[in-house]
Order: sequence, then structure tokens, then C-alpha cells
Amino acid sequence: MIVLAFDTATADTAVGLATGGAAARTARHTPASGERPGHVAQLLGLARGLLAEAGIGWAEVERLGVGTGPGSFTGLRIGVATARALAQAGGQELVGVSTLEALARGVASAPDVAAAPGRGVDPTVLACLDARRGEAFVGAWRGDALVFPPRAVVPEALAGLLAGRGAWRAAGDGSVRFRAQLEAAGAHVPPDDSALHHVSGARLCELALEASPAGHDTLEPEYVRAPDAVPKHLR
Amino acid sequence: MILALETSCDDTCAAVLTPEGVIRSNVISSQGVHDQFGGVVPEVASRQHLQLVNAVVDDALTTAQTTLDDLTLVAVTQGPGLVGALLVGVATAKAIASVRGLPLAPVDHLQGHVAASFLPGVDAEGTGHTPPLEPPFTCLVASGGHTFLAHVGDHASFDVLGRTLDDAAGEAFDKGARLLGLPYPGGPHLERLAADGDPEAFGFPVSDQLAGYDFSFSGLKTALLYKLRDLSDAEAGARRADLAASFQRAIVEALARRVERAVLTTGAERVSIGGGVAANGALRARLAGVAGHLHIPPRALCTDNAAMIGAAARHVSALEPGEYDDLDAYPTGRRDL
Ligand SMILES: [Zn+2]
Repeated sequence: MIVLAFDTATADTAVGLATGGAAARTARHTPASGERPGHVAQLLGLARGLLAEAGIGWAEVERLGVGTGPGSFTGLRIGVATARALAQAGGQELVGVSTLEALARGVASAPDVAAAPGRGVDPTVLACLDARRGEAFVGAWRGDALVFPPRAVVPEALAGLLAGRGAWRAAGDGSVRFRAQLEAAGAHVPPDDSALHHVSGARLCELALEASPAGHDTLEPEYVRAPDAVPKHLR
Repeated sequence: MILALETSCDDTCAAVLTPEGVIRSNVISSQGVHDQFGGVVPEVASRQHLQLVNAVVDDALTTAQTTLDDLTLVAVTQGPGLVGALLVGVATAKAIASVRGLPLAPVDHLQGHVAASFLPGVDAEGTGHTPPLEPPFTCLVASGGHTFLAHVGDHASFDVLGRTLDDAAGEAFDKGARLLGLPYPGGPHLERLAADGDPEAFGFPVSDQLAGYDFSFSGLKTALLYKLRDLSDAEAGARRADLAASFQRAIVEALARRVERAVLTTGAERVSIGGGVAANGALRARLAGVAGHLHIPPRALCTDNAAMIGAAARHVSALEPGEYDDLDAYPTGRRDL
């Protein structure tokens, strides 16, 4: 099955195209430091580029996968709106995948983890994104198994979440931001410049292949946090 | 067929027009969720747009008795507006156009309000249809987000004669309504209350001291606030309809006097109105005699809608597939009037 999957929940725009057989093709835009995310300006062009590389058109894509977050509300909506409309007008199957699970999957399949002593035992992975306002979006997996579902927490709560559950690995821009708290709680955090802190298009494609299709007018982001319901003119 | 999308504020809109500009459908899904907050909450609006947008597009296509296969152009509001809300429409339109290999026309929301006059209007009784208006004409656009007076010389652009220096006219209606204890959205509630009142009962300022064609409404709100403080609670309660009527009259006069000034100075023979405030009956009545010809769009084309975006798109140079991959929305304030 030919799968195009993308994620815009973090500052990155990550895209993957799996055509079966060989490894998925991937593309990513990461804003320079201080630059705003480029989701709406990057997403279609990156996707079109991968399709061109593979020598196929939109019509040959059979399934679309989109990261449902949690993450930046505006970023999420750009990804989900794009995926819903592509599926609506292109007729592809549409699936939502967890952004945090894609991050966790990236760590679990990293070569150094696979080669680590005691391999065969999946590490527990905390996917951790900077949720702004001093909070982190976190979720944890061991292999395919959910340890706890996505939520927004203050960094002080991380130690409590990790306590007594053995060795942890953490990934995502939130693990970099809250490195001190995570390491104090015993988690292993890859170096700041590690690719493991970015959502991989290949992992998105894997998860998209495993997921069940959703409706093009019902798939929703996993916001986790409620909107601030204060009208513009009263702020 | 042209498919047009508009998501700049709190209405999720899609419309289908023929290439000649005949409206085949004009779907407006008003969110209604903002009434409980007393105003539009941008994040709530954006979430609602995403929930509704694909169903609204389906509805517009079905009502027009057409399908995606018949589309020749996709049009979308690019700005100005709430950027998170705009992005839902922009991302959706780009994806539909891209996967279908169609050209995409990015449309300026304010140009859309002007282009509502390129569509058939209604007569003074609101029952019969009038033909579309062709440039040149003078156009007053007044809504909750924008208020300006423009000379429309061609189909693709307009020259601003004057604009509001502070609040938009619709915003003034909403703020006045809130002071009078009316629910959000205030404009229609205030108009209903004003129907039973005397517009001459209180003299509110109409910013006559402003030369040229600019508007100012912030002093009006303050004047109402002071008036309410001066009156006893019982008196203010008893005279709410008079206060509403006088307040409405001040907004209508401020708008109408600039239009009159423009007609006298420029010799414009034709005037059109647009924006949500153009649905106000008192304004329509007041403007009836100011020019040789007054074009009044039906109410559904005054408030935010996608048909006006489709009408404007016919005169915008569309981008071909591959040219709009990087198209972004622009927020309120970036486009200087
Ligand atoms: Zn408007």
C-alpha cells in the first residue's frame, strides 16, 4: 500500500512516503532558531517533492496519515485540515496517528537502543513536547504498548510519572527543554542535536499502516488542552 | 465551476459559482458557540472551522448539484482575519486544488466585500432582485471587523477614501449593545430594540469634526456610557429603546454623512454597501436617497460569505498547481488600508 504521512504538531514539518518494499522516503523542514514554523508554506511542497522523487502522482497514494498531536494548535490544524481535504478531494483512506507515539517509536527503533545490553527488552519511552506556558505534552510507550496516554503536565510532575517504572528514555523538544528535570528523575535523554527529538516521516508511515481509517469530516486533532475562552476584545 | 471558501472569522462558508459568476450555492455555517463568551474566541473559532469545513464544502457542492469533477477553480480568503481561522480555509483549499490539479485564487477578504456588489442585489423592499453593479462606484463596507469607504474603479481593486480610525461600525454596535445589557451579537439585538425607540431622544456624537472620509466610533461608546451613568437606573431601564435608537442613529449618520460627502465631492452616481452592518434596516433607509443609484446586496451577501469570495476570484489572477504550495494566510493589520 502506498502511504503518504505527515506531521505538523511540532515546529517541524515532517513528511514520509512509503511505497512498499524499500525504506520510506522522508523530508523535513525545521525552522531556524527564532524562525516561525513553516507548516502551511512547507507541507504541500515537501509532499509533492517526495511524490516526484518516487515518480508517482496524488492519484496513486492509497492512504494518508496525519499526526494528530498533541502539539501546537495552529500547526495541528494545518496538518489535519490538509489531510482531511486531500482525502475528501482525492478519495484516499485517512488515518490519524499520535505525534507522541511516532516520537516514541523513533527511539525504540534507534540503532543504539536496538544494540544496547538487554536488547529484546523494549525500553519505556517518554515522548515529551514543549507545550508552552511552562508545560509539556507527554505520553509513554513500551514497544507498541501504551504506558500512559498523552496529557499536559508541569515539569515538576515528570519525576512522579517516571518513578518506580525502571529505565526510561525520553525524546522530543520537551525532553531537551526539560532535560534537567528528566535526568534528575533517571531518564536518558539523547543529545540536543539528536534526530530522535524530531518526528520521523518513516515512523509516521509505519503507524499509518497500522491504524484504522477515519472519516474525512470527522478526524480531529488531539488537543489535550481546552482553548482559553476569553474573547479577543476582553483581553 | 468555482468553489470558494471563507473562514476569516467565526462563520464557516463555502459557495459554488458558475464561471460567469452566477451563485449556485452559498452555505454559511454560523458557529453560535461564541454567544456564551460574549465575543469571538479565536481558538474556539478555529476548532469549529476544522470540524465543519469539509461538511460545508460537501453541502455547497450538493446544493449546487455539482461535484468536485466539475470544478475549474478553487478560491479562498487569504486575509485579513483571525490567522488561525484563515489557515483552516487556506490549508483546505490548497489541498483540494492540489490533489485535483486545479488553479487556486487567493482572495482578499475586503475585496470580497466589495465584490459582493458584482452579484445581484435586492430592491428597497428587499423582495425583488436588482442587476449586479459594474464599476465605477462608491462602496461603503461596514462590519464588526472593518469599516471603510472606497472608490471602486475596476473589478480587481479599490481605492480607499476613508477608514475607521478606531472601532469598526459593527464593533460599535456590539459595544453599545453590551452597555445596554443586550446579548452578543449585539447589532441585530440593538436594531430590534431601537425599532421601538425615538432616534432623536438623545444627541450622540457623529464625529462630524473629522474632515474627509474617515470614521471614529470610540467616542460614541463613551458618550453612551456617560449617558447611562447620568440616568437613574429606573430611567435608563425605561428609556432603553430610546437610547438604542439614538445610538443607532449616531452610527448610521456617521456612515451616511461620509457617503454623502463622497457623492457630492466625487460626483459618484452609484453607491453600494457591504459588510454585516449593511444589513441594518435604518442604514439602508437612510442611504436610499443619497445617490442616483444605491446597490443593496441581500443580507446573506452582506455578512461574511463565500459567494463574495468566488465573485472576487473571477477577477484575480489564479495560481497554477505548484505555484501555491507555499501560500500563507495574512492576519488583520498586515494589509494597510
Ligand atoms: Zn467581513
